[in-house]
Amino acid sequence: MNARILRYLQSDWAGPFLIIAIGGGAIALLKPTFLSAFNIQVLLLAISVNAVIALSQMIIIGIGQMNLSVGAIGGLAAISFAGMMQVWELPPLIAAILALLIGFGGGLANGFIIARTGISAFVITLASLSIFKGINLGITKAQPFYHIPDSVKAFGNTVMFDPIPWLVLPMVVTVLLVFYLLTRQRVGRYILAVGGNLHAAELSGISVKSTIMWAHAISGILAAMAGIMLVARLQLGQPSIGDDWLILSFAAPVIGGAVLAGGHVSVAGTVLGVVIVAIITQALVLFEIDPFLVQVVLGGLILWAVGINRLREVRFQKSLKRI
Amino acid sequence: MKSLLEAQKISKSFPGVKALSDVSIHLAAGSIHALLGENGAGKSTLIKIITGIHRPDSGELLLDGKPFHFNGPREAIAAGIGVVHQERNLIPRFSIGENILLDRLGGSLLKPIDYDSVYQEAKHWLDLLELDLDPRTQVSQLSVAKMQLVEIAKALSLQSRVLLLDEPTASLTSHETVALFSLLKKLRNDGVSILFVSHKLEEVQEICDTVTVLRDGRNACDSQPMTNLGRQDLVRLMIGRNEQIPNADLRDHSTAEPVLELFEVATELGHANINLTLRKGEILGIYGLVGAGRTELAKSIIGRYRVTQGDVLVNGQKARINSVADAIDTYSIGYVSEDRKQEGLILIHSVLDNASIPIWKRLAARFGILTDKDVTAAISPLVNMLEVRTPSLQQLVGLLSGGNQQKISLIKWLAANVHILIVDEPSVGIDIKTKAYIHELLRKLSDEGTSVLLITSDLPEMVALADRILAMDQYRVKGEIVNSRNYDEMSEKIMGYIHSSKG
Repeated sequence: MNARILRYLQSDWAGPFLIIAIGGGAIALLKPTFLSAFNIQVLLLAISVNAVIALSQMIIIGIGQMNLSVGAIGGLAAISFAGMMQVWELPPLIAAILALLIGFGGGLANGFIIARTGISAFVITLASLSIFKGINLGITKAQPFYHIPDSVKAFGNTVMFDPIPWLVLPMVVTVLLVFYLLTRQRVGRYILAVGGNLHAAELSGISVKSTIMWAHAISGILAAMAGIMLVARLQLGQPSIGDDWLILSFAAPVIGGAVLAGGHVSVAGTVLGVVIVAIITQALVLFEIDPFLVQVVLGGLILWAVGINRLREVRFQKSLKRI
Repeated sequence: MKSLLEAQKISKSFPGVKALSDVSIHLAAGSIHALLGENGAGKSTLIKIITGIHRPDSGELLLDGKPFHFNGPREAIAAGIGVVHQERNLIPRFSIGENILLDRLGGSLLKPIDYDSVYQEAKHWLDLLELDLDPRTQVSQLSVAKMQLVEIAKALSLQSRVLLLDEPTASLTSHETVALFSLLKKLRNDGVSILFVSHKLEEVQEICDTVTVLRDGRNACDSQPMTNLGRQDLVRLMIGRNEQIPNADLRDHSTAEPVLELFEVATELGHANINLTLRKGEILGIYGLVGAGRTELAKSIIGRYRVTQGDVLVNGQKARINSVADAIDTYSIGYVSEDRKQEGLILIHSVLDNASIPIWKRLAARFGILTDKDVTAAISPLVNMLEVRTPSLQQLVGLLSGGNQQKISLIKWLAANVHILIVDEPSVGIDIKTKAYIHELLRKLSDEGTSVLLITSDLPEMVALADRILAMDQYRVKGEIVNSRNYDEMSEKIMGYIHSSKG
């Protein structure tokens, strides 16, 4: 029994979970409105979109790279989704599928160039960020698409049943699919294998190049998914969607125990990381603290999480050296 | 006998060093073939060429009499060639079972990976090696020996026709080795062609049918039957150049003052009870197999890793070396890394910049600023003295040959005028001429009063250079031998110490 508790405590999500329980409890005690149905609904809306954003980055962290273009791909997919419904009057479902394909294509392009050239993902996605954002601005002329069908608006702003919003549904499905991918699908295992030891993966007969392409393509789809959800929530195709995703996209997986060198990520941990960020943001609003502090706290949180992970990684590497 | 896999006149150069020239080997089905040679003779390079990791510059590879060339490990595996490399190649956070069957996990988009059957099959291969391990265990929890066995199980699971094993027994106990050998014999009877690389001649003579010996990247013999060759013959083929490493005179430093002493030292990397005394003007050798902890000990001495227990004395005074900068600036200890490309040199910087890094502080402190003139004045005589072949001091180090790069690594510390020089594998990947020169240089330096701690896996080099030899294994010092310059005697004594603990 004790051994089991110990194992839970050592898992990636135990730390974030305890923080949420204790922190959430403390906030609820001081501000009972924190647990009001409305507040929980607001929290869940933020968590739903942010979790998908975080998973998009998490996949790339898993393979040991970075994707700076997560927000740019998500933004391009978002305005495409809105634009196709407004200009071409496509039904929302078709527009959503096409937007996901745009995300897939953008990610695949990233992956293809990275795998082919061997240039670091940081540099390639920095360049593609600019390209995707430029296309976005070229299409929109920096003006939002306003004519979003009512069904889409409703999906982003009404509840399934109090206080659970509809947006939770695509988030839960996405989380489960990503978990399934990373634990029970060959591609997912290969992504973590390449992240864990690229050389060993290659010598085992895994195609490292196609694994990198897959990882970026999947990351692109997830970014597009988040973009579509955000259009539903904001009720318009805002060209600036995605501009502020980057910090969160790294913070949540890292808080959730992801190793930045690759090979180890936690889906549950990442989602809890998103929850922590949402609660902190919410708390600062409730206590009427200046919103600029959100940025400062988020930065501090990343440093703290990276520090903890570094400590764990050093310990892990040492255990590998043991004779 | 007809060859299953053949290499004909393979040549391969890396920048600055010719790794293989006109090497041939013939592997027959149903036989175990030994590949012998000293470190740097080209064994691993040949294996990497066969498996498509490197591309040969010239020569031909034949499988079943047909020419082939692989564009990487995937194609080699598909063609039925399994390999266990010298370095460990496992995904540390994956389970044993998943590592063994990594490229055959199965499953499809709608059908998840069936881990029960993965573990079941992995168990089968572990059982064959008499390995009592749960395939669900994470690889990171295994010892190095167990990891090596898991890699062998992985190679077996490919059911290859050709199995290449690069030093498979390096970290195994004798019991594990016996189990492996009985399995290899069974595979041979099933018609598998096995290439076996090992430094342990007893093992090689026990199980191998034929032997190929490489020396300095050339065939010393090509696929000879083992029955005609005795142990002495093999040693002669492997070394074959006794006259080229002239033995230094015997020197006795037992009365010289100690410059570096370690008393019951333990480190954060796992060394324990390390005692050693390096005296002025002496060359003290540390011999051990890969993974014995020699390089790690050297790096702990220079403050890269923490000494957790015991005392380190420099010139009889208790020393606190907290960083590599301390070691250089305060205690005058220099370290020539075994990995000069990664740790020893900055390949994209010039000869001048590389050679002068350790003395920048000294030169700049004197004048406040660092000028090229001062640096050149300090470095240029040394570059001439060591006969470094470089068009100019501005040449990028990465463009020099391996031997000249190694000279630059040494010049760094000569310029800094260190009293204690730790030299780690000084002749890896360099030509014979430079090797002889570096030996001469180390001897001269020690004659002039520099104390040298020599780490090498090259036993002839050790016997030729060291005054005393420490045998190291598993992060412990197993014994000390005064060098008599008699290769056979030294080899037997050292191996005796190293294997004394393994049962």
